[in-house]
Amino acid sequence: MTLGRTGHEPMRSADPAGTPDETLLERVGAGDDGAFRELFARYAAVSHALAFRLVRQAQVAEEIVQEAFLAVWRMPDRYDPARGSVRSWLMGTVHHRAVDAVRREQAQRRRADQAAAVASRVAEDPTDDVVASLDLPRERRLVQKALAGLPEEQRDVIQRMYFDGMSQSQIAERTGLPLGTVKSRTLLAMRRLRTHLGEVAP
Amino acid sequence: MIRDHASIDELLAIRALGGLDGDDAARLERELAEHGDCDECRRLEAEHNEVAGMLALSLDPRPVDEGMVDRIVAQEQRRAPREEQGPERIVIASSVDELSSRRDARLGRWQAAFGVAAAIALILAFVLATRPGGVEVPGTIVAFQGERGELAMAYTPGERGALVWGAGLPDPGGGKTYELWMIEGDNPVRGACLAPTDGAVAAYLDADLSSADLMAVTVESTDCPSAPTTDPIFTAELT
Repeated sequence: MTLGRTGHEPMRSADPAGTPDETLLERVGAGDDGAFRELFARYAAVSHALAFRLVRQAQVAEEIVQEAFLAVWRMPDRYDPARGSVRSWLMGTVHHRAVDAVRREQAQRRRADQAAAVASRVAEDPTDDVVASLDLPRERRLVQKALAGLPEEQRDVIQRMYFDGMSQSQIAERTGLPLGTVKSRTLLAMRRLRTHLGEVAP
Repeated sequence: MIRDHASIDELLAIRALGGLDGDDAARLERELAEHGDCDECRRLEAEHNEVAGMLALSLDPRPVDEGMVDRIVAQEQRRAPREEQGPERIVIASSVDELSSRRDARLGRWQAAFGVAAAIALILAFVLATRPGGVEVPGTIVAFQGERGELAMAYTPGERGALVWGAGLPDPGGGKTYELWMIEGDNPVRGACLAPTDGAVAAYLDADLSSADLMAVTVESTDCPSAPTTDPIFTAELT
């Protein structure tokens, strides 16, 4: 049951080659497992990449993806179009779970040390070889370009916060920056990314 | 009335990236509640969520196990009959040690949990009314077990967020506050600090409870440490 929600117009995640995400999600709500499989096909691999980037453990990353999509399959009505597109909701669901997993790790310093070792293994991942041999999809190129175009200090904050799962306080502690500086750099980076990514945002 | 959204904009950006913590999490909830039904707040939230969601696209996709989607669909089909049992999802537990032995006695506690919920329904109504843009009412109510006062939480299993409310709570003492923890296995994960007013508390917990087996409340210093330093005074098992 929803109380008094007055949302914006949905931000459509339109796939020009197929059915919009929002339509698929509506069908999932009606129990259409074919629609669920289509959503899964669209976003499972990028969800897996995001989870793995954060937790650095293949099995844990797969579990996160499975749990996130299970939640989608069970409760698609939890999606609120006023808070963004289906894609952003899915990625947010995966990201929240992965960040929670990261923060469960009590030995932060030990994990950071392990990350360096894992990073070298990631570079040798045969999956990456396959992907690298393909043309990057347009959206991925644009997002990578937008990230690369950020001032280094802003990109660093985004990397630590989104891709490493660090909180604002942890970043301030690690970098020695005042918390206020971390926060202002985050907002500046998000605004700049929004400007650069506006053309591909749903 | 023209409202200033600078602070909300900044905090929403950080939350979208998963980096919000400490007092700022409560501050954002408070400011959003003050803005009430705020179109600009929702626009900013959607905008930041959208940008954050797109960041994941910069990563090289990693194929998942081909059987995963079949497992998810099959798991839901196996789970479906249990959903009809409803009241079995209400559970009270008095301590970590007792949890396993009490799992078979859930139905008998349904009435007690309902009583707690009814006793402080007005507080819950206040929280719902002050959430911006309305809020979905969670489907499961859990009553905490403690020696003094009443504390309950409403949430939807597998979904982010929970409403926590209580009444008749003892004063935690000078320089002290209550801190809510999500217990995952043996690992406590910080939830939120709860400062009661005249023994009553009502708050929205913006956290993922999907991995938590147990909720616990301890008395901590007002700087809200990242790990509990005292024994729980309230506990509740999650299903």
